[in-house]
Amino acid sequence: MPGMAQGHALRDAAKLPPPSADIDCDIVIIGSGAAGLAAAWRLAKEGRRDFIVVEGPEPDGNAAGASMAGQACPTGAHYLPLPSMESRHVREMLQDVGVIVGDAYGRQPEFDERVLVHTPQERLLRAGKWYEDLLPDEVDAPAQRAEHQRFARTIEQLKSAVGSDGRRAFAIPVALSSQDAQWRMLDKLSFRDWLTREGYRSAALHWYANYACRDDYGAGYERISAYAGLHYFASRAGEARNAEPGAVLTWPDGLQSLVRALRARIGFAAGSRLDDRTAPRRMSGFAASVQLKGKGVEALIVQQEGGASRTLRIRARHAICAMPLHVAAHVVNDMPGFGFDAATHLPQSAPWMIANFLMRRFPEERAKSPLAWDNVIYAGKGLGYVVATHQLIRVARPEYTVFSAYDALSERSPQEMRRWLETATPTELLGRAAGDLSMAYEHLWPCVERVDITLRGHGMASPTPGYLSNKGLLALREVDGPLQFAHSDLSGYSVFEEAAWWGEVAARRLL
Amino acid sequence: MRDRILILSVFIVASCGLAYELIAGALASYLLGDTVLQFSSIIGCYLFAMGVGSHLSRYVKDEDALACFIDVELLVGIIGGLSATLLFAIFAWASAPFRTVLYALVFVVGVLVGMEIPLVMRVLYGRKAEMREMVSRVLTFDYLGALVVSLLFPLVLAPRLGMSRTALLFGLLNAGVALLTARVFDKEIKGTRGIRLRGAIVVIMLIGALAFSSQLTRWAEQSVFGDQIVHAETTPYQRMVITRWQDDLRLYLNGNLQFSTRDEHRYHEALIHPAMQSLPGARSVLVLGGGDGLAVRELLKYKTLEHVTLVDLDPAMTHLFSTSAELTAINEHALTNPRVHVINADAGQWLETDAHSYDAIVIDLPDPSNFALGKLYSVPMYRLVSKHLAEHGYVVVQSTSPYFAPHAFWCVVATLREAGFYTWPYHVNVPSFGEWGYVLASRHDSFTQPDHYDVPMHFLDASSTREMFHFPADMLAPDVEPNRLNNQALVHYFEQDWHRVIR
Ligand SMILES: Cc1cc2nc3c(=O)[nH]c(=O)nc-3n(C[C@H](O)[C@H](O)[C@H](O)COP(=O)(O)OP(=O)(O)OC[C@H]3O[C@@H](n4cnc5c(N)ncnc54)[C@H](O)[C@@H]3O)c2cc1C
Repeated sequence: MPGMAQGHALRDAAKLPPPSADIDCDIVIIGSGAAGLAAAWRLAKEGRRDFIVVEGPEPDGNAAGASMAGQACPTGAHYLPLPSMESRHVREMLQDVGVIVGDAYGRQPEFDERVLVHTPQERLLRAGKWYEDLLPDEVDAPAQRAEHQRFARTIEQLKSAVGSDGRRAFAIPVALSSQDAQWRMLDKLSFRDWLTREGYRSAALHWYANYACRDDYGAGYERISAYAGLHYFASRAGEARNAEPGAVLTWPDGLQSLVRALRARIGFAAGSRLDDRTAPRRMSGFAASVQLKGKGVEALIVQQEGGASRTLRIRARHAICAMPLHVAAHVVNDMPGFGFDAATHLPQSAPWMIANFLMRRFPEERAKSPLAWDNVIYAGKGLGYVVATHQLIRVARPEYTVFSAYDALSERSPQEMRRWLETATPTELLGRAAGDLSMAYEHLWPCVERVDITLRGHGMASPTPGYLSNKGLLALREVDGPLQFAHSDLSGYSVFEEAAWWGEVAARRLL
Repeated sequence: MRDRILILSVFIVASCGLAYELIAGALASYLLGDTVLQFSSIIGCYLFAMGVGSHLSRYVKDEDALACFIDVELLVGIIGGLSATLLFAIFAWASAPFRTVLYALVFVVGVLVGMEIPLVMRVLYGRKAEMREMVSRVLTFDYLGALVVSLLFPLVLAPRLGMSRTALLFGLLNAGVALLTARVFDKEIKGTRGIRLRGAIVVIMLIGALAFSSQLTRWAEQSVFGDQIVHAETTPYQRMVITRWQDDLRLYLNGNLQFSTRDEHRYHEALIHPAMQSLPGARSVLVLGGGDGLAVRELLKYKTLEHVTLVDLDPAMTHLFSTSAELTAINEHALTNPRVHVINADAGQWLETDAHSYDAIVIDLPDPSNFALGKLYSVPMYRLVSKHLAEHGYVVVQSTSPYFAPHAFWCVVATLREAGFYTWPYHVNVPSFGEWGYVLASRHDSFTQPDHYDVPMHFLDASSTREMFHFPADMLAPDVEPNRLNNQALVHYFEQDWHRVIR
């Protein structure tokens, strides 16, 4: 559970030793997730050197990965959709790290093909058979098929719909979407209610919509805003010159490869010379408090080594607070003063479980169906599993692979599910984690060497109805001055592009 | 009269019994090699199973003996009759359970055959035949039947009909015995209608299989059929089978013909020399695939060549072609030549780590029949290859058949172009493959077809070279997409093209 001990210590306001050193810098970025690193990348790219990134309890945050028996695998985000036209910041980033190799801002950029997901991209196990599509046409009756086609047509229309303000109806970043009431109204009801209202009855379609919400938002579609539900489908309009529509970018360890490449481009100084103000620096530790002081910001950073902890005081002209909001609410002084009241404005956050199965051989597939990158079980409890070695250019199967099973624990309220996570025994966790895989394979366990489970109690913000008009979030987006906020939470939901967007916005304000 | 019919049945039944045994033994030694062990263990298993069958026959009640005999005949007919076809199919499609299925079939047929004679004897005994005479007659005809088949099988049946059809024929004989017995004794047994129905089904299935057997066997590794297996091995990567028929030695990987010594010189001369003749100063060449060493043999004809690096996935393959006397005679000890460096690795993975550059790169990989192999024919793979190619070097890619799989062939061309290569596709007729294709590619736009060859050739000369680079009207390029990892168009083209041919 990355960050839980530190987080709960902050919440419970543990006693800290007085600061052992003062560090001065121009900008401090607190948090090293996608948002923090995107801000750092922008600053570095525009020539800024005098800044420090405080890693926080988990470097890379929800874009982190791991390694099992030498095989890289994700413990958080695992793919990036093809960036939309609006995502210029992401396109620039991808070009900078060599993932986009041509026409970065055009309709169809050219991508490094090794990173475009290799075929077969996904498959669905339904009634004992694998299908190539999550909504396979051949299974359902004509009436349902007609509904699926109607849904697909609606999405196609929404993908290109443009509002009276000239903006796309559903854009990523969501902040660049049209403000037209006709679509904003959809934020008043749940996605399930919208589907029902529009006369969709097909069980397969309902399953699919629910699956999409659980997969991207960590909660069932009965709890997700209809706007967000449609946004998931309609915002993904990115294209590539050298891939099919709907392709994604992925790496063996998911987005960790991307953030690692970003780190390389930022060019952090080697070693830990925090006083060398001519190069970007990073440091371990987490912020215990952040407050406005004089014309700048002062942050108290706790570093733990072995059992001992020490504190450092950072004095900066500017700070970018790139921590999750549920942490910021405890750490940043006077959040209500910025217009954010944790009790009413904190988005609901979803608990996640990522189980990495180190496989010593590939289990036998039903009917020899080729293993896909993303393998989903119809009506499965989890969200299926991705294969870490899928992108390797190999003929023979590698000696080891890792199957990463994702599960948003959403059948009860997030609070209840977090309580379950805290009390569940390892066997119970493992049983849950293996649910989907055991449905896919008759003989799973002889192939499994080890299982590592990562629990993310507050994995991501879920866009519940009303999230677009969350006043606290709207206020934090606008905060300008010595302190800025940058985190995917500001969007009310969590994807890499949103995190990067807020990093971009914050950094731009300081340039 | 009726007793005579029964005795006649014994004769037929005995010949069928021996026939299945011989077929299983022959198949096992054909397909698995190692004749003595295969043959004796199959016979042992069969005889033991017959013993089990005889033992089981005591549990059949006297009044049921005749009906049971008829059912046993029908079962033997269908199982024994289809056994060879089934074994061929399993051998061709999935090598792993072949042995298990073989012994299981032998055992089942053995048990059933073992029940036959005791049942017949009991029927005759029940019909008040005299013990002494009956035993003597039954066993006489039993052994006579065996003698007939043991002569017919190697002299007539195996060479004329082959295994599958021989087995089907004997299956029909078994079914015939069942139907005849049922007819003659229809007063003495109940449910003759059911028997006739079952019998009809068995006969129809066997005749159907017989009608399709030529297709079935073609489909199931036709050429192994009849040819002798000199070597068969299942490695972690593939199934290797080497067969011989007179002076023709053939290598099959996973059931696909890789070469025949009759005409492999055409394939390999065409693969190597157009590129090499155009690279007079070539010092180092990389070969991806080609673990049989035949491409390397051609390369070594160039005395100026200093290094040949061969990267093949399967150590068993390069080992076999480095050590077997018969095979090194064909590749002229290419793989143990001091100029040659053999590496067993996955081509893509190896290229990612290798830092050298080569004057020529020969890509002689298995056809893109699945997504894993398709990755080696993709744009990123060719980009990687391009990084290892000397500025003026050439790449040559074996690219399936432009005649049978035109979309696949031209997709390889399109893929190389997408990866930044100039291309010169060509083709040659290799009789055992049909029309076969290659793509020559380079990073510069100049290539002139050789009008002579400096090293000795069996096949290539100025005019055959001209023809190779000419695509007649029935082989023109269709419109195709390059093979991207994101969709692997090539694997789909390949599948569709060959499906059209084989259908
Ligand atoms: C299981 C899972 C799967 C996902 N899959 C995808 C996906 O496939 N594609 C996609 O686009 N998105 C995905 N996401 C969402 C994506 O991972 C996030 O949107 C993105 O990584 C969030 O980045 P962030 O910087 O906003 O926040 P975080 O990743 O939450 O980063 C927060 C940072 O703050 C630091 N921090 C915390 N407390 C303190 C403190 N007190 N002091 C200092 N620092 C602190 C942490 O160490 C961390 O570095 C997924 C999320 C999860 C949970």
